Formats: sequence, C-alpha cells, structure tokens
Amino acid sequence: MNPNMLSPSRRSFLYGLGSSLGSLALTDILAKEAASPLAVKQPMHPAKAKNVIMLFMEGGPSHVDTFDPKPKLQELHKTESRSTAGLANGFRFYVGSPFGSRKVGNSGIEMSDQWVHMADPEVADELCNYRGCQAESLNHPEALFHMNTGSRLGADPALGSWATYGLGSSNQNLPGFVVMTEAALPQGGSTNWSNGFLPAHYQGTRLRPEGSPILDLQSQAFKSREHQRRALDEMAFLNQKHAAANPQHEDLAARMENYELAYRMQTEVPGVVDIESEPEHVKELYGLDQKETETFGRQCLMARRMVEKGVRFVQIFSGGWDSHDYLERGHSSRIRSVDKGMAGLIKDLKQRGMLEDTLVIWCGEFGRTPDNNKRGGVYSLGRGHNVDAMTMLFAGGGVKKGTIVGATDELGAEAVDCVHPIRDVHCTILHLLGLDDNKLTYFHAGRYKQLSQFGGQIIPELIG
Amino acid sequence: MKAVSLTSVRVFFTAILILSVTAGTHAATEGEKLFTLKVQPLFSEKCNGCHGDDREKIKGEFDMLTRESLLAGGEYFGKDVLQPGNSAGSALIETVKWLDPDWEMPPKENDRLTEEQIALLEKWIDLGAPWADEEKQSAIREEEAKKEVTDEGIIVPTSGGLGDEWTYRRYQPEDVWAFMPMEKPEVPEESDHPIDAFLQAKLSEAGIDPAPEADPLTLIRRATYDLTGLPPTPEAVSAFRSAWKDNADLAWKGLIDELLASSHYGERWAQHWFDVARYADTGGMSNDYERSNAWRYRDYVIRAFNEDRPYNQFVIEQLAGDELADRSVEERLGPDKIHSTRISGDYTPEETEKLIATGFLRMGPYDDAMVKKPEARQIYLDDVVNSVGQTFLATTMRCFKCHDHKFDPLPTRDYYRMTAAFATTQLAERPAPFLEQESLEGIDEGRAFVQGMLDFATAEKDKLVTKRENAARAWYQENNRDYLPLEERKSLPDEEKPPRHVGLNIVEQGQLKVREQDVWIWTRRLERYEPMVQSVYNGLSGKGNARSLRIAPKKESSAEIKSFILTGGALEAPGEEVTPGVISALGIPSASDENEDLYALPTSVEGRRLKLAQWIANPANPLTARAFVNRVWQQHFGQAIAGNPNNFGVKGKKPTHPELLDWLASDFVENGWTLKRMHRLIMTSEAYRQASHHPQREELAVKDAENALLAYFPTRRLTAEELRDTTLAITGELKEARGGLPVMPEINMEVALQPRMIQFSLAPAYQPDATPERRNRRTIYAYKVRGMADPFLELFNRPNPNDSCEMRDSAAVSPQAFTLMNSDQITDRSIAFAHRLMQQSSSPDEKIREAFLTAFGREPAPVELARLNTYLADMTEYHEGIHPDRPEYPEEITRTLVEEFSGEPFDYTEILPAFENYVPDLKAADVDADTRALADLCLLLFNSNEFVYLY
Repeated sequence: MNPNMLSPSRRSFLYGLGSSLGSLALTDILAKEAASPLAVKQPMHPAKAKNVIMLFMEGGPSHVDTFDPKPKLQELHKTESRSTAGLANGFRFYVGSPFGSRKVGNSGIEMSDQWVHMADPEVADELCNYRGCQAESLNHPEALFHMNTGSRLGADPALGSWATYGLGSSNQNLPGFVVMTEAALPQGGSTNWSNGFLPAHYQGTRLRPEGSPILDLQSQAFKSREHQRRALDEMAFLNQKHAAANPQHEDLAARMENYELAYRMQTEVPGVVDIESEPEHVKELYGLDQKETETFGRQCLMARRMVEKGVRFVQIFSGGWDSHDYLERGHSSRIRSVDKGMAGLIKDLKQRGMLEDTLVIWCGEFGRTPDNNKRGGVYSLGRGHNVDAMTMLFAGGGVKKGTIVGATDELGAEAVDCVHPIRDVHCTILHLLGLDDNKLTYFHAGRYKQLSQFGGQIIPELIG
Repeated sequence: MKAVSLTSVRVFFTAILILSVTAGTHAATEGEKLFTLKVQPLFSEKCNGCHGDDREKIKGEFDMLTRESLLAGGEYFGKDVLQPGNSAGSALIETVKWLDPDWEMPPKENDRLTEEQIALLEKWIDLGAPWADEEKQSAIREEEAKKEVTDEGIIVPTSGGLGDEWTYRRYQPEDVWAFMPMEKPEVPEESDHPIDAFLQAKLSEAGIDPAPEADPLTLIRRATYDLTGLPPTPEAVSAFRSAWKDNADLAWKGLIDELLASSHYGERWAQHWFDVARYADTGGMSNDYERSNAWRYRDYVIRAFNEDRPYNQFVIEQLAGDELADRSVEERLGPDKIHSTRISGDYTPEETEKLIATGFLRMGPYDDAMVKKPEARQIYLDDVVNSVGQTFLATTMRCFKCHDHKFDPLPTRDYYRMTAAFATTQLAERPAPFLEQESLEGIDEGRAFVQGMLDFATAEKDKLVTKRENAARAWYQENNRDYLPLEERKSLPDEEKPPRHVGLNIVEQGQLKVREQDVWIWTRRLERYEPMVQSVYNGLSGKGNARSLRIAPKKESSAEIKSFILTGGALEAPGEEVTPGVISALGIPSASDENEDLYALPTSVEGRRLKLAQWIANPANPLTARAFVNRVWQQHFGQAIAGNPNNFGVKGKKPTHPELLDWLASDFVENGWTLKRMHRLIMTSEAYRQASHHPQREELAVKDAENALLAYFPTRRLTAEELRDTTLAITGELKEARGGLPVMPEINMEVALQPRMIQFSLAPAYQPDATPERRNRRTIYAYKVRGMADPFLELFNRPNPNDSCEMRDSAAVSPQAFTLMNSDQITDRSIAFAHRLMQQSSSPDEKIREAFLTAFGREPAPVELARLNTYLADMTEYHEGIHPDRPEYPEEITRTLVEEFSGEPFDYTEILPAFENYVPDLKAADVDADTRALADLCLLLFNSNEFVYLY
C-alpha cells in the first residue's frame, strides 16, 4: 500500500534534485519504484475484458420501446390493464409503443425503429441484449445505488471502484475510474461513484462537462505553471527536512508523491479531454457534428481516448429517460441523443482492435411498465417504473455477440427467462474482467465485504 | 443461566478439553457424535445453501441433505465425491482444500473452511462417514448441551435461534468477549498510572520499551487538537513552554483543564459523535428534504459534551427523551394532557431539551417517495435499530435480520424483538419552544431571504398559471362551456375539458413544474425559523410523509400493534410473532424478576424505548461502556482498543488490551459515566505523552509492526474539519459562534451552482452567507446536505452520512493536492494569512518567523529562513506587474433541465440574492505584490506535511 519503498537516503537524494532534474525524470523514477495503490494487478483468472465503458441511462429507459419490442401492446393500447406492477393503483391502461420495431443485422436482434445507427449490422451484430435482469427498488436513487454499488443503501463501493481495486489502472497519471455526467448530477449524486469503505484511491473521479474537468485542477489564473513548479520544489524542501526529522512516519513520502502526480495530471488530463486533435471523420462518427448528439458523443469519444490511455473504468451518465408521460417525444429524443455516440463508440473500438478487451455496457436503473395511470385526469401516454423487467446491452469484452439472452413476458411486464438479480450481472462483469466476486473482498467492520453483498452467480449465457 | 465468567472459563478450559473426548452419549459412536456436533453444522453453514436447502435449485445435482444422496454424488464427481473410510480418495476433501482452481468449495473467500474444519471432515470420512438419525442427533445434542464447556467452547444462552443446532452452538470465550460480563481487572504493578500499567505489562511481555516523552510543542499541539480540533495559538505555545520548564506535570494538567473548559471542546467531540450517529441537515435520497431544525440536536450534543453530561443520561435522552418529556407533562398537568401538549408544544425547557435529544432517532437517511408504506416503515425500523446497535452497543444489527447471526450469539428473534421496541415510534417534526441557551441569531435575516426566494418562485409560477388559465378560458368559450378551474375540471372526461397543459409550450410546461417545486421547497424552508424539533412520538401510525411529518391530531385508540420475525428478512413473509425485547445473549434482564421473559420490554404503546434505553444504560450492560470508552480511546490514540468500534462481534477485531478496556469501562461507570474525567485519566498517562517516534525503530518493525502495543504515539492527519477550521483560525478569520441556524460557508463555486437532480426537478443552488461573520464559522456549524458534499471536506475524507463511520480514512489522493494548492478557498486563506502577517511584522525575516510560529508553533531553522527569504524575494518579483482578476458574483443563473417526462431540454432562471450585497473575503486582487508573495509562502505552509500531520 505504501509507495514509500525508497530508502530515506535515496528519497532525499531524489527530492533534493527536484528542481534541477525536472519533474518528469524525478517522478518517473519514483513511479517505477513505488507500489501505488493503483498499480496494475494481475487478474485472478484469464480476463476477457481489460476495461469497461458503462453507459448509464438515468431515469429508467423503457425496454419495450428500445430493445425489447412488444407488438402485442399495440393491440391492447388504452385498454384497461390488470397489471399490478410497482406502486400502481387506480385505473391503469396499456400503452402501445409509439415506435415500430424490426430485426436488424445478420443476427436479427430486435430493436425499435428509432435506433438508426445502432441498427447498422456492423454494430448490431456485436451486441448482446440481456432481458432477464430484475431490480429491487422502485425509486431512482435507491435503484441507481443498487445498479452502481450493489446495495440500495448508498454507502458501498461502486462497480468501478471494485474493478480498480481488483486490477489497478495502467496509467498512473490519470484516475483509474472516471465518471462523466451531464451538467446535472444524477439522483444520489457522487454516492453513485463513491469508493464506500474501500480506500479513497478507488473513488470515481468526475470529469466535469464544463469548466475545469477536475475541480481546481489548474492553479489560480494569476499563477503560472513555472510558479507552481517552484512552489512544489520549495515544498519538497520543507517536506524533506520534515521527513528527515520523522523517519518513522511512512505516510510522508506518499503524500509528497501525490503532489507530483497532481502536477503531472495537470497536463495529462486536459490532453485526454481535448478532442480537437481527433480527425473530422472520427468526430462525425460520434455525432459531434450535430447539436443533439454532440454532448453524449463527445463523452463517448473521451471514453475511448481514456481507455486508450489506460483508464480502467469509464462511466457516462445520460439522463432524461423517466418518461411517465409524452413517451413518444421523450424516448425518441433520448434515443436520438445517444444512438450515434454509442454506435460510433462500438465501431471505433472495433476498428482500433480495442473492442475485444473493452466491455461496453448500456443500462438504466430499472425498466418501465407496459401500462400507465392517468395523469391530470387524462390518458397520459407514458410508463411507470418497473423493477421486474428491463433491458441491457453488452458489447465487446468477451460477451456473446449478436444474441439475445433471457426474455420478458408477452407484454414486457416481467422477466421470465434467464432471470437474474442485479448482483448476478455484477458477478458476470467482474468475471469478464478476470475477477471473482467471491474473492474480490475487503475486510470492513468485521466482515469480508464483496460487491454482490452475499455472493451471486455468473450468467454463463452472456459469455462468448 | 449464563453465569460463566470469562476468567472461570479459562481456568478449567484445558481440563475439559481432555475430558470431553471420553464423555458422551452411550449409544452414539465417536463418528456419530462428530457428525452431529461438527460435520452436520458445517454442512449446514457452508454447503447446504447450494446443495440441498432449496430443493428447486440444487447446484450440480449434488444434494448433501442425506447420506444416500451425498454418497451418490452429483453431476461432476459421482461416487468419487466421498469414499467412506478413505478421506484421501474423496473428491470432497480436494474441493474444500481448494486444490484445483476449477473446483473450489465453498466458492466464497468468506466461507472457506479452516484447516481445523477440513481435518474434522477428514476424520469423519475416515471413521466411515457415519450419519446419526434425527433421534440420535437430538440425543447427542441434548447430552452435549448439558456440558458448560467443551473443546468447542461455551454455549451462550439466548432467546433461541430458529433451530436447535444454532441455539446450542458453542463459542470460544475469547471470540464472544464483548458479550461476557464485565469485571474490573486488577491493575498490574508496572506503573502507578493504571493505563500505563496495563500497556507496559504488554510491552515488557513483548520485550519493548516505551518511547520517550514527546517535546512540549508536540504535546500542546496534540492535546489542543485532540480536545478542541483547533491549533494552539503562538501565545499559548509560549506560555506552555515556560510553564513546562517550571513544572511539567502541573503545566500539562493545567493545559488539559483549560482545554476541557473551552467551549470548543464540545464542538470537537460532538463531531466524533456525529460520525457515528450520521448528522446531516437533509434527509437524503430522492428529494433530499431539508431537516429544518436538525441543528437543535447538533447543539444539544455540543452542550451535552461541554456540560459533561453523564453518558448514561446522554444515552437515555437520545433514545427516549420524548417519553421522559411525556412523563414530566403527566406529573405536571395530568395524564390527559400528554397528547394535547404534544400538539401545542407547551413544554418546559427541561422537557424540550429531552425532545431535542431524540433527534438521534431521526439522523438516518430517509425518504418514502415511491416506496410502499409498509416497506418505507420497515426501512426506517431497520435503519434505526442498526444505528442504535452500532452506536451504543457496538453491534451491527443488520447482520441478523435475515437469519440467526452467522457468528455471534444473536438470534434473529432478538433482532425483531429490538425492532419491536420501535414499532410504536413515529417520526414527526414537533413544536417545542426555543431554549434560552439556543442561539436565534440570523433568524430574521434568514426568514427574509427565504421569503424572497419564495416570492420569486410564486410570481414566476403565477405568470405561467395565468397564461394557462387564459388559454383554458378561451377553450371553454370556443366550446360554449362555463369555465372551470383546474382542480374542478381535472377528473372530467377528456372531451369536456381543455388539453392538460393548454396554452403552454414544452419549455413553459417544464418551467411551471420547476416553479411549483420551488414554491413548496421554499415554503417548507420557512419551517427553519419555527420552534420545531426533529423528533419522534409514540403512536400506532404516523401522519404525513417525509415531506411533512406531523403528530396525528387525535389520540388514537389503543389497538394492538403486532411484530413478527420476517422470514429471510422479507416483509412479505411474516413468521413467528414476537414481543418487544432486548439482546438476550448479554444475560442482562430488562424486565423484573416476576416476568417470565426476563428480556422483555413493555408491549404497551408507551414505554418501550425508555425501558430499552435504561437497559442499554444499565451499569451491568457489558457492551455500552466498553463501546463508548473504546471510541474515546480511539479518538485519543488514533486506534481503538477493539479495532471495530461498531462491531464487537466474533468477526470484529479483538481488543489488543482486553483488560485495559474492561478496566476503563468499569472505572467509567463507577465514576458516574463522566467523560471529562476519562480524558484527564487518558491524557495524564505516559502513553499519551510519548513521542511519535521510537529509538528502536528496526526492532519494533519486527516485534510490533502495527504498533498495536503503543510503544510510540501514533501519528494522524488533520481531519477535514480540522483543516478548514485551522486555516480560518490562523488567518484570524474564524468567527466565534454559539450554534444556532446552520451557516453557509463558501464552497467551490462550480459545485455550489451545479445543477443537482431531485425528484421531478433540480435542487435550488447553494448560496453562501453574504457576510464573513456567518460564513467563517467552525465547520460543525455548516449546513450539511446529504446530496451535495462540500468537495473540500469530502476530499479530506469526511464520511458519507448515509452510513455510520467507526473510523475515518485518511488516504492521500491527488485531488487533495489540487484543492489545497489551487482552490479559491485556500487561496483566500493564504491571502488573509499574509495580510495578517504584513500588519504584524516588518522585515521579511520577521514575517517568515511569525508565519512559522503561527502555523507550526516553532521558529524556522536558519536554513529554512534563508531559503524562504529567497523564495519570498523571487515571488515578489513574480507578482510585480500581475493584476489578479476580482471575482464576479452572479446574481442569477440560467439552468438547463431535461424535462423528465418529455425528454426535452429547457432553460429557466434562478435568482441568487445572496450575492447582491455580498461581502467577499479578502482577495488576491485586494492586496499588493508583497502580500501575494507572502501568501505564496503561506500556501506552502498550509500544504506542508508538518501542517497536516499531528505527532
């Protein structure tokens, strides 16, 4: 745990040279010799995926209107529903999907006709559509916590924290677990990417969409980079003197190294975030040329750049899927905003030979009901929260290609085939990363804790 | 009954070990006994979950419930799985040894068998794998249960598990140390000071000498931070140094007394309590509703610590203060006035104080939006019981919610009995007059501010409603119908009324929803200024939801309220009925001798919690005092005696000094449960005054690498709050405060104005207080929002208030460097510090000297002085000709929200009146180049290791 593997004399030698040697040479030596908590660790078994890009559709995308079409619902449109899902009470009626559907690609995966770019066979045939997952919490933050941390209580480590805890990250100048959101934080905020009881090194770092990508990344405008370097050198002088007087205190060197890492990140992070260097055709592939696809596409492109640079786990939150009403308008606009970016990401990863070991996940916190209740006294065409059925997409990273796993019932009310709780999906993701949920444990408050809480199963049907 | 004490068990423990092998049931063979007492329980705990219990889902077709099915094997191993008489040839042994990575059983690290368990299995197989029938098993177990102690340990009597096997299982006495009665141990002879005596006894056993005494500067810093969370002033340091020269002992005791008398003492120690109790000013989850007046509980805790309120009283008030208030009203006005007083809130100050104390029961995150009522209720009960267990009893209750405890003598029955103690506890914001000792400062300004926000939201809302209703009127006219307002037309058929959002486009529809949300958010925030308290009351059912919880106006008829064991923890599967009760394993009755059930609590609506609280505060309760002194020890030494202060169970870390812990706990109880006395005792020990380095470092690294024996004093990093408070204190900006309404410090501006989703809308922006007088107070007085952490505090490991924190993390991560080098807040502090130094001192040398004295408490060394002089000169040169920008404060912001229902983005404007008459702290732009250069030096000091670590 302690990067302080250098002998005291060696350490002071290096720090003494700080200003004249230049930071890079110094820190390179340090990085090589130090066992950082984020240093790369070997997987527990041969891994199929090295990295994860998780696209989280906050609000609960409707499976019925995206990747699990139910033509039967059209016949029942506006007829009384007997379904008792969720908190429903009073008069409920079925809502037919406003969208048509079709089978796409050579594999014939079904999706609603709103997906244009995802329907491209080159993308569609990479997908594994899983329809068997069931959630537990009907409300957004608890359900978000559950999908992201394995617990509804909002105090446990996120999936990305467990992954970086288990595997480290191959670029020590960037965070190992990066999160991107829209301007607004999702419900529950940073708890969704918290390190919980794991050490703080495994916390998700949020790259902000506007302003400074990391809070206070750069020095005050009236201080130059040289000014910063000088300050660090002066601090190294003070700290070195202090360390000499406190040889037993092992945290000192780690903290000094953190300042140097921070200094390196000041150039590294803007480099990853700055996508201007990408060629036009790549930008277009991700939809950066259109206003409605630009935000999400930019984040997808940044995710690819980060994975390329060795970031272990990237998560993107995209909100607005909570269509209780105006389903047609809501979902078509949400689908349009992510369609091109997602498809572009999968294509781009594939072209670069990165898809094989990058696991792309698309999911929300739960699915939606096939029926709805009246709102404001009128038939509102939307859907409620549904914990019994949802849809997930996987691509790359060793999952089965061009296939549908599991099924929901005729109306999409409930998963009926290959049904698994969220924890089993988590175990499967860890498995693909070469990690065993039962062995990826952390002793906390008297118990070995694990992502699945009490153990779960791998879903073999998802694995290629 | 359990009268076995820890020491007596140990005495004849070895003798029994030999005896028990020969004793036993006549008809049963050794193998059958082994099977019944050890192998079968092992199967049941480790294997049957996947291999038999669930008949539908037997993994690998391998069923271990009967000998026949076990021997038949499963899908993969067949008969090879177990060969009676031949353990070496049995695949079962291979799998439990984890020899083949593909066949590791049980598959979880947590469940992996120990070597002893594997040896047992081998022995049983070698004895022919005999399988006693049910009848014989019962006989063997009964016979075994008669023995007080066997090599398997002791039986801990409890209210009983779901099966006999659990009820009669045995524990090694040292594993269940915490549940055993407390006896005050003899103090060893090693020292006159009891603490040193216990510690040194262990050290000499290990052949280690304690470290020498620390120097006076280290000591005054250590003591001042430990007791107040603030640095000593240079004057205090110098006074202490000279007093130390005269008489070190007197100086030290005088210092401790002085610090304990400071009002900052309560501010510091309340923070530790809140880490465990999870204080916040909002309720978290999807709405993150404000808990107006939660500050009254915050101030209550600070008061309790400052007044040195006996801990047993502190416990009872927090758990049952409302019941105490009811009793007092009953005595004062008669029993029929209890409920009407709850409604009117006409309480005496003493009664009010006790109501405020029950804020403890309201500290967990809670929101019932989109959760079914019974489920929301159960979530509350689970949370409050777990919190009570962890906080007061060092027992993580949620571990035996779904089944009897896997490791501890805690049956699931006791979980539901404890839960039943809260079955009549209802949540409410209750009226109760403000107390004389409560600060009401800022109430009028605050109310005016909130009213301004409300007026704006209302006006914006009204504009949109008017537009919609005008369109509705037009529709009615067109359709030749009489106009009906929204509420009246809502439920009519579609063709008899205008479309739902008539007259409003998508953007306006979204805006209307936001404004409607804002209207009630700000209306609700007006409650901040009302004499209310976040509390509870006893009743059969509560009123309202998390948005507004009130006492039901009518007293309910006394129908019975029933509680059940929930099978597997599932609300849908109520099992056996239970009555309220306490943890039985402790052997401490909660009911009188006449009661058949010694561990019962009242079944009436009233009085359950008071009895529970009294049982917890019972001097004989072995967990209560141990749990508390263990936490106190941890806050002084940075490491607890028992390393998991929230979990004293079998799997929690064992105490490093069990006798010391018991001695401290007994001493604490004997002397009236007073904490300040305990601080004096701990801090006057040599152990507390040791240096944080040790002359025999290499030797120690071998003998006690973790410093568990405290051969030297552990180093710690300043906490998040200490860091912020310290920087404010040494710049002279820290404002004294007496509690009251939460203050809004400046936090990172991007985060303050960043949109944050709540149900249906965005939370209003965070606006700091307009004046430094309010902003720059100690962190404990700052508004704490569950859904939006102050990034500075979060980075420095302030715990997430959703979960009880038994010990803070202090890992160094790079974003800490960003915030401590670059943030506006730290830059402001560096400027303020420099400005102060500029006024105090003349020459650069003097300034540097003064800076060191203030930040570190010491003079700079000549080499430091020389080097920093050069730095200062260079930086002065750098800053010449640079003109930092003056910050601009936005008086309104435009927010974009994706309409939740339609998926369309829309904009709206939010006003930020706090910035209209904002009084900023001193900024870089306000000072000259010399001051900015000196501020660079101050920033260095803030970032240095010497500043952030305590020795």
